Amino acid sequence: MNQAGTGLDRLFKALANHYDLISEAYFKGVVYKNKQNERALNQLRQLKVLVKHSEEGYRISGRLSHFIDNALSSDRVRRLDTDLASWIDTLEQQIGLYQDAWSDNRQEDSDNYYAEIERLVFDLSDTLEENTSYLSVLVNSRFANVRTLAEKQKQNTFYISRLEKLVNAISSLQPEFLLEIVEDQQILYDLLEQQLIRLLPVYQQRLQDILDKLKVFLFELRQIEAQAQRVQGFAFFLRQNPAYQPQEWSESDLIPEIWNQIKPLQFQAYADPMDHGIEESLIEIAKKIKTESEALLAKQKKRRLNEVSINQQVKKKLDIPLYRKQLKAYVLFVRRAPGKQVSALAYRQAFVQDVLPEIWLACVLNECLRQKNKAIKMELRSVSHGVAFSGNQKVTDIILTCQV
Amino acid sequence: MFESLVKSLLQGQFICEISDESGFVFLQNTDSAQQVDKLLNQLGYRLAKTQNNLAFYASYQEINSQARADIRKIFQQFRIELHPVVEWLDMMMACLNQETALSPGDTLSFSLLLQVIEKNQALADRLLSFAKFKDFSSSDDSVKSRLEKLLGILNKWGYLNLVNRDLLIYQVTGKLDYFYQALQFIQEHEQIPIEQGEEEDVVQGSLF
Repeated sequence: MNQAGTGLDRLFKALANHYDLISEAYFKGVVYKNKQNERALNQLRQLKVLVKHSEEGYRISGRLSHFIDNALSSDRVRRLDTDLASWIDTLEQQIGLYQDAWSDNRQEDSDNYYAEIERLVFDLSDTLEENTSYLSVLVNSRFANVRTLAEKQKQNTFYISRLEKLVNAISSLQPEFLLEIVEDQQILYDLLEQQLIRLLPVYQQRLQDILDKLKVFLFELRQIEAQAQRVQGFAFFLRQNPAYQPQEWSESDLIPEIWNQIKPLQFQAYADPMDHGIEESLIEIAKKIKTESEALLAKQKKRRLNEVSINQQVKKKLDIPLYRKQLKAYVLFVRRAPGKQVSALAYRQAFVQDVLPEIWLACVLNECLRQKNKAIKMELRSVSHGVAFSGNQKVTDIILTCQV
Repeated sequence: MFESLVKSLLQGQFICEISDESGFVFLQNTDSAQQVDKLLNQLGYRLAKTQNNLAFYASYQEINSQARADIRKIFQQFRIELHPVVEWLDMMMACLNQETALSPGDTLSFSLLLQVIEKNQALADRLLSFAKFKDFSSSDDSVKSRLEKLLGILNKWGYLNLVNRDLLIYQVTGKLDYFYQALQFIQEHEQIPIEQGEEEDVVQGSLF
């Protein structure tokens, strides 16, 4: 048997074992605690078969009372879902009947009416307690979990209608009037005052809390609706106007409060090695740094990029090497005599003193090949190297001619 | 807690129930909020909150030229975020098949969204279209990669908070409340033609 089955088994056994106490509570309205029944009453209370009536007494729970009424087809049957306000009318009628029986000295009738009034008061009290607490739980836990807007609206309407019923019931109780009509019957006065009237502020406060919550929900509901419409409308607008950008509100003379938001700050702090208070902590941190870590192994580069210096840089003029000056003079010499063949060695012989003939020829050859000057034609004078098909040739002179 | 809370505010973060629950609870207490505000005032800032009190943030006490320059930068960032965030909110309504827009506290499951988008080509195309926005371009065109990118950027911008790294569950933060507020402001002040539809008049009568 599962857990629920075990619970049901225990309940039925308790009902069977203590049927005498239950029927006493049903017919007499209350059963009082004594040494013999104390344990059984506690068990029945735990099983919600009985509820506290007074310090020493227990009464039958409203729901079980209704079940028994139904089962016995009692004329006391009341539907729980009927308008609670009609219960109050019944209560007032029963009080009138009790008072008539009392004044006519019909003891048995008055006892029966009292028992009926008692049951009615308990039923009413239980119903208000159950309904207000149940609605409170529903509102607190379930409403927020509903996902669709339609469901949220439906639930909101349901809760409001249920709340209205309860408020109507409490409003029609008129506690002062009820207490006034029973002020000569102390027993009735105590019953109404202790079991019903005294509890009304608790129910009213609970209903007020529920109402406050529903108002918040209603407000949120409207906001959710508006937000959803705004998001969908904006998305549509942006698809139609992909280049749209909001106005430059941050450039307004008076920046609207909504855009007043700070630019994020960045924090950086350094440990103070002179602070002996944190010496131990710093040592611990230093120990944790791996010696082979990339940060330590990385070569520190001195970045000079974007460095701005206010000192004027010292400029140094570099001289052109002598051989290049002499080469320049040779080329000028060739240009000044267009069509004339000028031998590099002859020119060296005449104007260049410090350069060996081989080096001079190499410089002239290199310069002519590098500059690719089409105006000056280069002609090599060479002799055979002596080795067949070596690909090498020995240059004995270079003749430059400036083409006309 | 006070120290880290003030630092977060100065770093431009929105403090909400999702991003920093204890900090948010702390700021909901009037005395604590005054304490934080007092400190911020000494630095030229003050404590501000969103319209529905779902998030706290720091703003300037007085808008001088420096503050104006800073606000300009923040506003430029909002301009960057506007199109993609609106598109994301609209797309999430379609993905989750709900008539309500996301609200702070709502959860988004990466795997669930992936499942929905992969089964719906129109949604997959919408996801792909995010590439036209700055910061959203990616070399990988797969739905998974695109969705990762989308949620990652929204997380970076502070609209989402990754609450479960293993299952990739995100939660919408209170910054969205600020975004809705900004959207409302723009709509009202720039007369953006947005069809609001017919609002049902739900009458809440006095019950007592």
